[in-house]
Amino acid sequence: MNVIVEFFQDNFWALLILKLLIIAGLIPVSGLAIGFGELKLSAKMQSRVGPYFAGGRYGWLQLIADGIKFIQKEDIIPAEADRPVFRWAPALVMASTVGLFIVIPFWPEGSVAGIEFSQGSVRNLDVGIFYALAISSLSTIGVLMAGWSSANKYSLMGGLRAAGQLIAYELPMVLSVIGVVIMAGTMSLQGIVDAQAGFSFFGTVDSATLGHLVPPYMILQFVGLVIFFTAALAEMSRIPFDMPIAESELVTGYLTEYSGFRFLFFFLAEFANMFTMSALAATLFLGGYLGPGVETYPILGPVYLVSKIAVLVFLMIWFRWTFPRFREDQLQNLAWKILVPLGLANIVVTAILKVVV
Amino acid sequence: MTESPSDEAAAEPSPLEEFAATVASTVGAARHDVVFDTVKVYVDPSAWIETLRTAKHDLGLVHFSYLSAIDWANDVAVGDPPAEPVEERFEVLAAVADLTDGRLVHFSTSLSKDEPALPTATSVYAGAAWHEREAHEMFDIDFAGHPHLEKLYLPSDFEGHPLKKSYPLLTREVKPWPGTVDVEGMPDEGDEASDEGSDDAAVTTPAGATTENPGR
Amino acid sequence: MTVDQDAFRYLADAAVSVELETEDMTLNIGPQHPSTHGVLRLVAKVDGERVSDVEPAIGYMHRGYEKICEVRTYPQITAIVNRIDWTSGYANEVPLIVAAEKLMELEVPERAQYIRLILTEMARIASHFMFMASFPLELGAATPLMFALRERERVLDLIESVTGGRFHPNFNRIGGVKPAYGSGSTTRKITQDLPAGFFSGSRQAMDAVLATCDEIEDLVAGNEIFLARTKRVGVLPPEIAADYGVTGPNLRASGIRFDLRKVSDYLPYDRFDFVVPIGTMGDSWDRWWVRLEEIRQAARIVQQAIDGVPSGPLQAKVPKIIKVPKGEVYVRAENPKGEMGYYIVSEGGQGPYRLKIRSASFSNISILPWVLEGVLVPDIIAIMGSLDFVLGDVDR
Repeated sequence: MNVIVEFFQDNFWALLILKLLIIAGLIPVSGLAIGFGELKLSAKMQSRVGPYFAGGRYGWLQLIADGIKFIQKEDIIPAEADRPVFRWAPALVMASTVGLFIVIPFWPEGSVAGIEFSQGSVRNLDVGIFYALAISSLSTIGVLMAGWSSANKYSLMGGLRAAGQLIAYELPMVLSVIGVVIMAGTMSLQGIVDAQAGFSFFGTVDSATLGHLVPPYMILQFVGLVIFFTAALAEMSRIPFDMPIAESELVTGYLTEYSGFRFLFFFLAEFANMFTMSALAATLFLGGYLGPGVETYPILGPVYLVSKIAVLVFLMIWFRWTFPRFREDQLQNLAWKILVPLGLANIVVTAILKVVV
Repeated sequence: MTESPSDEAAAEPSPLEEFAATVASTVGAARHDVVFDTVKVYVDPSAWIETLRTAKHDLGLVHFSYLSAIDWANDVAVGDPPAEPVEERFEVLAAVADLTDGRLVHFSTSLSKDEPALPTATSVYAGAAWHEREAHEMFDIDFAGHPHLEKLYLPSDFEGHPLKKSYPLLTREVKPWPGTVDVEGMPDEGDEASDEGSDDAAVTTPAGATTENPGR
Repeated sequence: MTVDQDAFRYLADAAVSVELETEDMTLNIGPQHPSTHGVLRLVAKVDGERVSDVEPAIGYMHRGYEKICEVRTYPQITAIVNRIDWTSGYANEVPLIVAAEKLMELEVPERAQYIRLILTEMARIASHFMFMASFPLELGAATPLMFALRERERVLDLIESVTGGRFHPNFNRIGGVKPAYGSGSTTRKITQDLPAGFFSGSRQAMDAVLATCDEIEDLVAGNEIFLARTKRVGVLPPEIAADYGVTGPNLRASGIRFDLRKVSDYLPYDRFDFVVPIGTMGDSWDRWWVRLEEIRQAARIVQQAIDGVPSGPLQAKVPKIIKVPKGEVYVRAENPKGEMGYYIVSEGGQGPYRLKIRSASFSNISILPWVLEGVLVPDIIAIMGSLDFVLGDVDR
């Protein structure tokens, strides 16, 4: 056992590949878990039961059965479609989601059963949050590619709407994060979590003594949290921002011509994106893996992180099944006229307070 | 509640009859009648647009209900011919109503069978557009000045005008009209107090059935 | 030779404009589409997201009712006519039967009239709940669908318990209503009337309906996004509505307080106390709100009617073979979708010589070219949904 641990600790590449494999496994699992949660939660909200038969009474095999169904479907590409672009679009969208997993800190530094853990994430980049936002905006290109290459007017309209929407909401997302960066003083996600861990309210009450139960940035950067959450919903094209998909108008918009495994990619990417966006929000604003007793028992770190993600994902699912969708111009209105000025004001206030207080 | 018109006192005209008389005199119609609470005012085709315009602007009949036609013919390809021989014509009906008391007036005009043509009512009521398209495709009535007189329901390569009495119904070509047959008898009424006396003992054939094919 | 610099500049500008000028894209919405309430095809010319011209192409569901009815007897017509507006099946039969009864100068027993009224109002509740379900769904909210359809099931169960059919009751007979929920011709005396438990079941159902109306109002009416999607969207001025023959809740949403139940006597509505809701602006929000209020009023009417159903025969004395005497009559009724009327030309036979069916949705969607000009593509869906039409009603 010790030999294996030492092997991984000494050999950089082995550790990296191990972490990547874990992430590769985590993506479908998170996607499935969140998808199943959505099915069951939406059913509860609508006075019905949801998946019931697949895999026993609770239907937990439903999504796996769906996945197998999608995999074995015929690969249909429309005759007029632009074939290489059509093929690569889902890959790009999935790539942008996967890329986000790499910087999220899952566990604190510490040791479990004598094994030392040094980094909480796959790679702790110094420009962590910058990289995360940049990678997440890759999906815009993927969506545009999907919309254009489908050779279908509905897809084209969906793709164009998506382009407008995704680009519009990049800006509020970035602005809301800058407030956190100013407060923490660093762009690396691990550093931001450390700053939250070492935060002391009014200079007297340590966050650690409170057991990290009160996330400091949730209170101080509440506006930022709201903006980030709204922009994240828009980036994922979830209701109330799902104009690009707009099922009742455009018959799933840019996804119309995708079937089988390619559709599964988009589908999984959406749920995995929910996970990563919630993870980002939890890390930036809610303290990430921090919680009571996390220094002594580092194993609790992922547990806390996952529970915070669960709360945010629940909120996303709740919004999806309650609200109708915005019209495109109302959406743009919200982004440019409301969220961007709010974000800018947030930055200004944060900067002033950081210097003054 | 259904009351027969004969119950009303014949001496005093009902409000509806007064209204009908007013309408008829305002538009200068030759004839009008009120039967079963249905007001019908008969006008000439040449006075069609003027009549509708007067109805809309002077009589307050602003609501356009529908426009349709009746094909009066003595030789019919489907169904039964009229009980007594009628004058063969197309009768175009336009129903317009007011929005306060709910009075509806049918303006009726008769067109000849050979060249049924009428000026379009879309200049007065914009909603007549679709109704006139339907009347055109069903009866082959030409509405002069209609902006877009094309088929409404039927595919563009459809030939014929279905609602004309000379147009056959395909299923009736396959199985001819059986004429008057017994309809299925009514079940007896459910009131124990009243004794009907007539049980429906025999099962009667539904209309349209022949002896080889008793039920459908 | 001097060169006119301005001319060159204008030429260059013109060349660029011509190259940048694009044609409007023709977007075909339907006939298979999640939101067109059936097989409606809209040929829309869009410029980006803005619609420049819409032409509806209808007729995908044309079944030739008027021609068919020329070769059917009146009971047969009753059986098929509830398929015109299938979300409120019972209401389609009533004006036809009343028209035939007028021609025959029949006196319909009171009990039958009350039963007709109760079932018509239940059909109205069913139709409007269908609207409550599908309209937010088209805007993206999926939850009111479940709530509204759940209540609709209660009402449909009641209708089924009386008539035997949820959507196609075929319950009216000339002279009254069908004496039982049994079927066809039998060789024994039918002694059953309304099923046991109908009155108490209706009372419970109406209470549940009113509670669900409050629930839906909470869920939908206060929602900012819903308001933003429907307020001032698809404004229909009253003059245009009257010109095009729009009827029903669409007309009342434009501010015209006109309800055939109050002015016409095809059913004994004058004995009941109910309010006719109207809107203020004629936008999609008003159309939604008017229908919500109409559900409440319909539930009120049913509650009042149930308390006072008189006893008596269910059907007037009619001969076995019904021949309607010669004459012409037009009867119109306030159906859930609008005004439905039947013009019967009878030549004394067992069936009509000509039956003209005036259906509400046909006139209601004739305004689509007018109201959809210059709106955005998502608004097409919102406006079409708010007009609440059914293709069977449009195409007959």
